[in-house]
Parts: sequence; structure tokens; C-alpha cells
Amino acid sequence: MGNPVKIIKNGIIDENPTFSQVIGMCPTLAVTSSAINGIGMGLSTAAVLICSNLFISLLRKVIPDKVRIPCFIVVIATFVTIIQFLLQAYLPSLNASLGLYIPLIVVNCLILARAEAFASKNSPIDSIFDGIGMGLGFTVALGFLGLVREFIGAGTLFNVTVLPDAFPKTLLFVMAPGAFFTLGCLMALLNYFKNKKKA
Amino acid sequence: MKEIVRPAVVLLIITAVAAMLLGIVSETTKAAIAEQSAKTEAEAMAAVMPEDGIEFETLYDVTVGDQLDGTIKKVAKAIKGGETIGYVLTTAPSGFGGEVSTMVGVDMDGVVTGLRVLSHAETPGLGALATSPDFYEQFVGAKSPVQVTKDGGEIVPITSATITSRAVSSGADEAVQWVNANGGAN
Repeated sequence: MGNPVKIIKNGIIDENPTFSQVIGMCPTLAVTSSAINGIGMGLSTAAVLICSNLFISLLRKVIPDKVRIPCFIVVIATFVTIIQFLLQAYLPSLNASLGLYIPLIVVNCLILARAEAFASKNSPIDSIFDGIGMGLGFTVALGFLGLVREFIGAGTLFNVTVLPDAFPKTLLFVMAPGAFFTLGCLMALLNYFKNKKKA
Repeated sequence: MKEIVRPAVVLLIITAVAAMLLGIVSETTKAAIAEQSAKTEAEAMAAVMPEDGIEFETLYDVTVGDQLDGTIKKVAKAIKGGETIGYVLTTAPSGFGGEVSTMVGVDMDGVVTGLRVLSHAETPGLGALATSPDFYEQFVGAKSPVQVTKDGGEIVPITSATITSRAVSSGADEAVQWVNANGGAN
């Protein structure tokens, strides 16, 4: 059994899904127009990831190699649909802003990648920690992207206005191109610090 | 032979269990989901027809097969103390990013009592501002033709989002015209 702290740290920092592995870009770019949306999407993905990692790890000896991908997808899709039902029923306000993106979690390659690379080879407990780490890493990355885009594009942080009205807002940043600009700049910055540390 | 049968059986069992789980969750959340959507709709209706003690009665609904003109999707009658005081219509005019679902309250004289954009896929920061009070409050008191200033009307469009503003205005206009034609005072 691996060290839980190490597995979680690996997900958040060393192999951050967004900034290091660069997977799950579709929701990353689409929903990070505000910090709240980014964090909401990150946490929903994390919830699905933890459940799917646990179940795939439990089933790893039962699932034959040949049909593992369809099995993974069925497990993932089931959890996503359950979460969607629960959001619709009990958290309508979150559902209103994320509803459109929830089905996207099914095809988020982050979840499939963790199922294939980690959960299908490791114990259930380790897989849960991997889900927590990767999920948090994804949440932090999406939240941060959302924060930057919201600040530059709308002059607000968590829907609270921080920039005066007179301050020019770069609307482009809450639209699709802004997602690419922000992601590119953040990635460059992180790599700069990483390389500096190594040198 | 075993190599073909085993994967198939495992996959079948997994999908069957998944389907069963989904069925259970769907059944248990059904009531709560229906309640939520009814609540959201009731809140929006009360917001576009701000009167105390009114009841709504759905007259037409395209989702159950009723035929309605234009982009009108739903018509409900607002009743207060046994008398019809107006109508709440849901229209779906085309905006910049698809249909803009707009709920409009209209009184018996064909005057807009309130308007809300329910759902849309407009550009964030531009057309999406149609959901802000600064924009929709303007419609209160509007009469046909409801138009944006560029077209000779009185609705000040959202900056850089004339298409969205026009869509919402045309939705409101459709609602007012329906009331004028189908049950207004005149």
C-alpha cells in the first residue's frame, strides 16, 4: 500500500491533471468563466472520480482485459448520471449553472485515465486517495483559472465586485479565447518555477 | 470459447447492475426533481405577475401537444378572486446562441407586468446580461409593439448584444400580441 499523503500530493502538485498531465481540457476550458463554476465543476468531477476509482479498483480482478474500457465507461456514466439526478433534486442552483456540463464528465478523459492508469492496478484504498488527490488537483486548477478569468473579464471575485466600474474589463477573458490565454500563461509560469527549482 | 463468453457475461452483469442502480435513483429523486422544477416555474411566474393571491391555470402547453403560434411555448391564465387578470406566456425567440426562453406577464390591457429570461445560451458578459434586472425591468409597462430603440421602440438594448435584446423584445411582443388577439380587454 502506498503512502496516502504522497498519493494525494502527487495528484495536486506533481502530476496535476490540468497543468502537468494536460487532460480533461474540454471542461477545463468550457466552465472556468468564473471561480464558482470552476470549483463546482472540479468538486463534481472529484466526487465522480473517487467513486469510479473505488469501484473500478474493486472490480479490477473481475473485469476481463478485453472489455475493460466499456466496463469503465459504464461505471463512470452511472455515477455521473446519479450525481446529475441528485443535483437536480437537491441542489437546483448549482444544477442551473453546471447542468450543461455534468454530462461532459462522462467523457472527461481524466476519469478514464485514472481508471486505466491507477485504479485498475492498485488497491481500493489507494485508489480512493488517488481520486481525492487528482480530484483536488483538478478543482484547484479549475478554481484558479476561473478566478483569474473572472477577475480580468468581469472585475469580480466569487461574484463580488472588486474592480471599480470605470476600470476597463477585458470581456474576452470570460469567453473561449480567454480560457486558452489564461491556461497558457499559468502553465508557462508553473513550468518556469518548476525548472528553476530543478536547476 | 471461454475467452469470448466470459467478457460478454461480465459486461452484461456490470451493465445490468448499473441499469438497476440508475432505475432506483431515478425513481427516488423523481418527486423531488418535479417539485424543484415546479417551484422554479412558480417563482418565475410570481415574479412576472407581481400580485398577491393569484393562481395560475395552464391553458396551452406545446410539450403536451397543443398548437401555438410563433415561438410561444406555454400560456397560463392568472386568476385573482375568480377573475382573469392577465396571462403569463413563455416564448422562445432566437437569440445569438439559440433559443432564449423568456417568460412574460401581460395584463388584460396588453401591458407587460414583468419579464424574466429563464434559460439561454448567449455570450457570457454580453447577451447573458439579459438576466440582469437593469435590462428586464425596462419591459414593465411596455405595450405592443415592444421594440429596441434601434428599431424605433423604447427598450434600451444591452451594449454589444443587440441580437439578444431584439430576441427578448420580440418574445415580449409576441406575448402581448397573443393577449391582444386572444383574450385581452379589446
